[in-house]
Amino acid sequence: MTPSTGDRPGRWLDAQLHLLDRQVLDADDVPIAVVDDLELSEVPFGQEIPIDTPPPVITALLSGAALATRIFGGRPPESRMLRTPWVDVVEVGVVIKLGVMRDTLDLAWTERWVRDRIIGRIPGGRHTPGGKQDNHSEDGKRGGS
Amino acid sequence: MIITDLLGSRVFGPEFLGFVSDVRFFLESESVGRPARVYGIIVSPHARSSSLGFERSGVRSPWPIAALVRRRHRGSFLVRWGDIERLDVDRIQVRPGFERASSELP
Repeated sequence: MTPSTGDRPGRWLDAQLHLLDRQVLDADDVPIAVVDDLELSEVPFGQEIPIDTPPPVITALLSGAALATRIFGGRPPESRMLRTPWVDVVEVGVVIKLGVMRDTLDLAWTERWVRDRIIGRIPGGRHTPGGKQDNHSEDGKRGGS
Repeated sequence: MIITDLLGSRVFGPEFLGFVSDVRFFLESESVGRPARVYGIIVSPHARSSSLGFERSGVRSPWPIAALVRRRHRGSFLVRWGDIERLDVDRIQVRPGFERASSELP
């Protein structure tokens, strides 16, 4: 059996069991992506690995156009995958939680682009939704009493 | 390197050993930014697919699925990182005299 972590703080993670296909939440618990792949630090590839080579570490979670290659095989080009640095991960559980807001990540660039270039140009498109949510909740209270 | 370069690869020692069904990491701490290092690869002699969590030592139910998955992944073992000699496209070579550790999760 894989040894227990004993007194060492830490835990075992299997890539397919604990990481791949997990939902990624930002610091506000907003879902932003699914983990499609993991980027590892560089190791010798196509040549003998010296016996004292340190094991690779996870450097980033990758998300992107992975569905087609999962069905038909192959590997999506790296330019199509968006990176979330592993150092931003604060918790690995049923979901993977990040310690940063989605606006700081490459992952949310399409959402930012649509917001700034399309939604923001529609009259009224720059209103903050927070105020409207408050109005809805007040309406609900009035309706229920 | 990305993890899908490893998953499903054929593993060879003196002869064909199986396929990489998963990659095991050790996360050094739960705190922010701590590295998750590769501990080893899980080699399944019969299947490339994941064992769906049934590699955890205490998971026995639902028993029909557990029995099916355990049969499909019978003989699975873990090869530690230090025992990996060479990585190639769809092929991993392990060192002579490598150790077959249990693939069960504590």
